[in-house]
Amino acid sequence: MAALFAVVVPAAAAHPLGNFTVNHLSTVRISDDQVEVRYVLDEAEIPTVENQRASREELLRRKGEEIAAGLVLTVDGRPADLEPDGAPRLSFPAGQAGLNTTRLEVDLRATVEDPKSVELRDGTFAGRIGLKSIVIEAGDGTAVRTTTPADDPTDGLRQYPQDILKSPLNRTDASFRVREGDGTLVAPRSEGGEVSTTRDSSGEGFASVFEDAAAGKGVLLFLLLAALGWGALHALSPGHGKAMVAAYLAGTRGTAKHAVALGVIVTVTHTIGVFALGFVALSLQQFILPEDIYPWLTLVSGLLVVVIGASVLRSRMRWARDRRKGVALAAAAGHSHGHDHSHHHEHEHEHEHSHEHSHGGQHHHHHHMPDELTWRGVLSMGAAAGLIPCPSALVVLLAAVSQNQLTLGLLLIVAFSVGLAGTLTALGLGVVYAKRLMPRLQFGGRIAAALPAVSAVIIVVAGLALTARAVPGVV
Amino acid sequence: MTAHRTKPILKLGSIALAFVVVLATLALANRSSNPPSDPPGRQGADLGAPPRNTEEQVKSLQRQIRADPSDARGYAALGDAYLQRTRETGDFAFYTRAERSFREAFRRDPDSAQAIVGEATLALARHDFREGLRQGERALALEPETVRPYAAIVDGQVELGRYRGAARSLQEMVDRRPNLASYSRISYFRELNGDVPGAIEAMRLAVSAGGGTSENVAFVQTLLGDLQLDAGRVSRARRAYGEALTSEPAHLPARAGLARIDVARGNLESAARRLRQVSERLPLPIYLTPLAEIEIVRGNRAQANRDLELVRAQRRLLEAAGTRTDVDLALFEADHGDPRRAVRFARAVFASAPSVRSSDALGWALTRAGNPREGLRHARQALRLGSVDPSFHYHAGMAAKALGQRGTAARELRRTLSLNPSFSPLHARRARRSLADLP
Repeated sequence: MAALFAVVVPAAAAHPLGNFTVNHLSTVRISDDQVEVRYVLDEAEIPTVENQRASREELLRRKGEEIAAGLVLTVDGRPADLEPDGAPRLSFPAGQAGLNTTRLEVDLRATVEDPKSVELRDGTFAGRIGLKSIVIEAGDGTAVRTTTPADDPTDGLRQYPQDILKSPLNRTDASFRVREGDGTLVAPRSEGGEVSTTRDSSGEGFASVFEDAAAGKGVLLFLLLAALGWGALHALSPGHGKAMVAAYLAGTRGTAKHAVALGVIVTVTHTIGVFALGFVALSLQQFILPEDIYPWLTLVSGLLVVVIGASVLRSRMRWARDRRKGVALAAAAGHSHGHDHSHHHEHEHEHEHSHEHSHGGQHHHHHHMPDELTWRGVLSMGAAAGLIPCPSALVVLLAAVSQNQLTLGLLLIVAFSVGLAGTLTALGLGVVYAKRLMPRLQFGGRIAAALPAVSAVIIVVAGLALTARAVPGVV
Repeated sequence: MTAHRTKPILKLGSIALAFVVVLATLALANRSSNPPSDPPGRQGADLGAPPRNTEEQVKSLQRQIRADPSDARGYAALGDAYLQRTRETGDFAFYTRAERSFREAFRRDPDSAQAIVGEATLALARHDFREGLRQGERALALEPETVRPYAAIVDGQVELGRYRGAARSLQEMVDRRPNLASYSRISYFRELNGDVPGAIEAMRLAVSAGGGTSENVAFVQTLLGDLQLDAGRVSRARRAYGEALTSEPAHLPARAGLARIDVARGNLESAARRLRQVSERLPLPIYLTPLAEIEIVRGNRAQANRDLELVRAQRRLLEAAGTRTDVDLALFEADHGDPRRAVRFARAVFASAPSVRSSDALGWALTRAGNPREGLRHARQALRLGSVDPSFHYHAGMAAKALGQRGTAARELRRTLSLNPSFSPLHARRARRSLADLP
């Protein structure tokens, strides 16, 4: 439906743009003891004609009343008083046709005590056309999560973006979830833009691969390879279970096969984890924020790792105790485990032999060792490492859903997960082969002897660390 | 043994592989079946039935274009959606967005008829009626079977005073698609020709034909209210405005219509209050000028001057931007500004668009500037179609009075007041006084 008649288009249709607009922006900063709101008002030429009829004091009073009545801050469900913090700054920058514009900046603050939830509703100048926006800044002593953007594309209402593929800003509501922290912020980078819950560059790289793919840019195969690459790179950032996997493979008699299996399990677990979390995020979004699930997943993952580490440690200790008792019955037990002799394993044994011999000649004891590395263990370890979905993968999934490109998104996420697992597998293979080389080194033997115990301890500690990190988010 | 040992890996591997294969198949199937389907905006543009919520439509088109940036039709539809956003919000910033969207469409397809119609609409909105008509005709030549170019063609022809051509185009338009867009234009054409009952009937058809967004429907309901009010049917007008506000509670033209009802009922205080609310939201001259006139009649000269000052500021902005003036601005200058400037504006308007409305504005400007002879000549030109617009007759009557043509003055002023005694509180009062004054 185009215009109905030329004549009913308002007389000022050819108006230089935006001369009626009343634009306002609130920048929110949440600290553990105060909430600061910097309110910027930019009124165009026509409203300024009205403003300039009043005296400066009268105008400041009127605008102050409008802001006081319209800007509503709620902290933990209760309204909080926003008090002026310093004098407002009022100026009349030159506009078009010898007319002025109005610029007013008001600093407001409310005293709070360890806020948990903060909401801001901007009801000022309701019904007037113009840009309305709220942005969030990192505060002191808090960790803030929000869907309100962190970046202000208007530079404090000094410029107005004109990208026709993005709608003009019109945000009058914002809510923030706050925890104790050290000034961190989890927020999208731009209004309505691709949500970036991570500031990690590989995560953004992956999101950009999806944007390219969704925009039809590039060959699908290369995009998949790119996603794979970003996944591989992403695994190098902290918190992806590299230490655990390495320690696990080092401490048990992990082989190349186990390392590969671990990679496959990580891929599958991670992909399923992203889908599951994406499903929860989409279907239960009124009740649960995806970020709220992370601590729980971290907790499960951490506990799982502790259990694995403990079982490795326990069997190691049992083995050590048995050996100290000088029980040589192991031979029989060894036979019962005869099915464990694969070609590959035999290979491994030779190294173990040399090490055992050097130690005390208890030839057959190593036959207990394969018990430590059960398939259940590999599965658990892989699940633990892949259980926590990478935020960037989740971002891509949600973007894929919103752009109706679900299968494309899923495909890229699988590629990403494969890349992620690839790094872990490569690491695992590195550990496996390094361990084999070790006995040949001069002091390698001694280190190798201590390695299983040390690695079990490392796994337990890593699991405990993961669990501990999850606890504040859960309670 | 070996087989047993490798089994879990094989199992895992094959599960993962199957997973990837299924996904890849889905992705390919999706790619081949998705893009050619019609996005909502495209259908809307042609069927006159876009989604209710224009904001959502804009978002979905933006997504669609991001998915396929080579999509010329997507850009053209986005431009149309931005045009509609201007109508809904009164925010002219959307015109710039529409213009840039059409430009992007042309970069991808220089002969996009949809984008050409969009450009035509923008030209008409800038009151560049020749360009609007030219673009409309070009779009029709490219796609002779479509109906959308007719909207631009008809609007251009009417504003350029080419009434016979407009009648033919209108007939073709309504034959092709009898909907809100065509019936509302027929209504306006009949009104210009003095056929108010016919105009009301056509506008009723426009309302019931529906289509378009809820803003479109509210808009034609408001126009129906205006027509009913001009025909003296105050309660029917009240109902039409009420219906417009039921579908679009914030519709400013309908709120301004309620103010006109107040004027008709003699409640100037309420009328002023309503118009002030409207002009606080959108300080357009079409709301500010009647508001100022009501304040003058109520004796609030200072307040009236403040309102008029806002209109003057807009005139300065228009001049600074080097944009075309229009009929409303010429009339404003004639009534509340500098009559000589009014003549200059009106001559420019008349030269570019010699419609009856331009004739009326030029005539009134000349009369106010002390040249009632020329003024009356143009006022008669304005009435050549038989218009029943009270202000046309008022302007003719006042020119005749200044010329000392007592008979013509009395006839025109009586006609003015009989058509609609409350067409403007200020000018109706002046018309009454002038009539009583006649020697």
